[in-house]
Amino acid sequence: MFATLVGAYPRTPLPGSPFKLRAGYGQLDRCEIDADGFRAVQDELIREIVDEQESAGLEPLTDGGIRTEDPLTYLARDLDGFEISGLLRYFDTNTYFRQPRAVREPRWTRPIAVDDWRFTASLTDKAVKQNVVGPYTLGRLADTAEVGQERVTLALAEALNQELRALADAGCPLIQVDEDAATLIGEDREQQRLFREAQRRLLAGFGGSRDTHVSLAITMGNADAAGTDTIFDAPYSSYLFDLIAGPDNWRLIARAPGERGIICGALDARNTALDTKELLIWAAHYAASTAGRGLARVGLSPSTSLEYLPRDRALAKIKLLGEAARLAAMAGTEELARAIDPRAVDIRSAAFGRYAPTARKAAEEAQAAQPAEELA
Amino acid sequence: MTAVNGLWTTSVGSFGKPPELLKARTDHAAGRIPDEELDRLERAATERWIRFQEEIGVDILVDGEMYRGDMATYFAEEMAGFEIGGLVRSYGNRYYRKPIAVGAVQRTHPITVEWWKYAQSLTSKPVKGMLTGPYTIADWSFDEHYGSRREFVLDLARAIHDEAMDLVAAGARFVQVDEPAASARMEELPLVAEAMGIVTDGLEAHAITHICYGDFMRAYPTMLDIPVDQIDLEMTNSGFDLLERFRDIPFTKAIGLGVVDVHSHEIESVDDVVRGIKLALEVLPADRIFVDPDCGLKTRTVEETEAKMRVIVEGVRRVREELGIGSELPEGKPTEGRHRGAPIPA
Repeated sequence: MFATLVGAYPRTPLPGSPFKLRAGYGQLDRCEIDADGFRAVQDELIREIVDEQESAGLEPLTDGGIRTEDPLTYLARDLDGFEISGLLRYFDTNTYFRQPRAVREPRWTRPIAVDDWRFTASLTDKAVKQNVVGPYTLGRLADTAEVGQERVTLALAEALNQELRALADAGCPLIQVDEDAATLIGEDREQQRLFREAQRRLLAGFGGSRDTHVSLAITMGNADAAGTDTIFDAPYSSYLFDLIAGPDNWRLIARAPGERGIICGALDARNTALDTKELLIWAAHYAASTAGRGLARVGLSPSTSLEYLPRDRALAKIKLLGEAARLAAMAGTEELARAIDPRAVDIRSAAFGRYAPTARKAAEEAQAAQPAEELA
Repeated sequence: MTAVNGLWTTSVGSFGKPPELLKARTDHAAGRIPDEELDRLERAATERWIRFQEEIGVDILVDGEMYRGDMATYFAEEMAGFEIGGLVRSYGNRYYRKPIAVGAVQRTHPITVEWWKYAQSLTSKPVKGMLTGPYTIADWSFDEHYGSRREFVLDLARAIHDEAMDLVAAGARFVQVDEPAASARMEELPLVAEAMGIVTDGLEAHAITHICYGDFMRAYPTMLDIPVDQIDLEMTNSGFDLLERFRDIPFTKAIGLGVVDVHSHEIESVDDVVRGIKLALEVLPADRIFVDPDCGLKTRTVEETEAKMRVIVEGVRRVREELGIGSELPEGKPTEGRHRGAPIPA
């Protein structure tokens, strides 16, 4: 049982703290610092974000996506075959990405994320994961009119396979492939086939003897219409699903092979209202109960990037997430019932199984039910 | 005498703020200068932009929004039911304070009317009333109160309707209700239209909505069901590709045609602008085309803003001259197009 970010974390400061990154951008624009100087500003922020995750009890950790301009450009600008074009909204959010335009089949020429991962990994003894946008999402959201979606997507899968190998060779223990565009596949059989083929090529050489754990993350909506054959075809070790924007993803979890891990994106990453730990614990236990998976193969996460929230709210949410993961791992139902709202345990949910109050608890309840004058 | 008038020049709303105003806003937020000093600078900057637009010959003016920060937060700050949250990022190094609905939202006083009156007092040309739409304010806020997007949006629609009516009562002939979030969720386009129906109900003015940076190909033609007289669309950023769809499914309203990219430092050539206008003229008549930037220009410097506006005006002047199109302004009243939705397929 563990808790982890999906990837990105707010780069804004906590209330009352200076906004060093924004100042750094300004200094870079005015040529007061060079690229190394700006990287040092990013490094400092990544240190803070790693500390916040560690303090909240999260693992694996991420660099918060601090070096990415948007979900696509970070990789697309360093692959051969793309030009970076106009702004587009990222799904239904109020954030934007520059649309990559494929001018030929994309090609990998050198490691892109390896040095960034190494830096973050050097800051902590805990495991650090690296996000890589998936070939289907990059191919689907890019402008592929000149080359064709299929050619671009499959070439991307092979190019990104080399990036995954470079990360694995560098010692990265966990790579998360972000495929938000899986929510756009629906019942389109051609798109389902393309998604499956892209994942197979992407994961070629993984899933067997390699130590690296590769996880598939789908946020921003429901992907269940694509079907289990599509989503679970490639040999991913685990799956992260957005369960807030995509509640129907529970259907996928219920049918996910038991030997594969599930990370429940049950913490609402797009609203400031603080979630309840009871709900998070329920989600973890439910996922553990499916296909004999067990809690050892289950984690908790925000529903998507936490960058949609102000920093103080994001921090409050990851503390809750870490606490929920700690409580969810408790072995005894009694102990858990004392730690949270007991109604969350007393209801006979699928997650907790049939729970009967112990004699002591029954006595306490009987006492509570007595009229006040009798107790006096 | 010119037979046809059209290709009126205008802006989407915001302009770049001069450096002294940017500094003053920072100083004001830190409590280093009083309200009066900030207000003086905002008025001076507004007057400057009105004079500039008159000087270069823009047809329908805007006040440039010198007194606004984020377009959704500005309205939330003035309404009951909202708290203003911390900073969140929208793109690159751009951030805004995202509002949080913590109670039933309502308009307690006119929000933009005094600014509109001030800007209009500086010119004899029409100044647009500029509002942010209910769907966008709701979508760009956190909701800790409603739990129902529809209830949240419709409460905001009633508030924005009251503001729009006050603008028209003050004399505004053109009222723009920006809905940049409208094309983000196709399934909620009917809600956008329902809310806009409340906003424009009984509005005796030329009602416009601005939509940008979404999946227009999917939103079209349903977006035509939004009850306004004109839809203003970002076109340069998306390579004018939506115009091709107008050949199959006619655009039933007036269009605001974005002909310069607001996210690029590069200044388009007049030829670029002329090319964009001529593409539009292949599918729409001149008297249903208003020409402007893709979006608000607030992310550009004053110099870039000026340069982009100059090429727009010059491009329009060149096309008008070539095709004999006049510049006499429309009346600024509701048109047939307001309730003309998507064409029914044959």
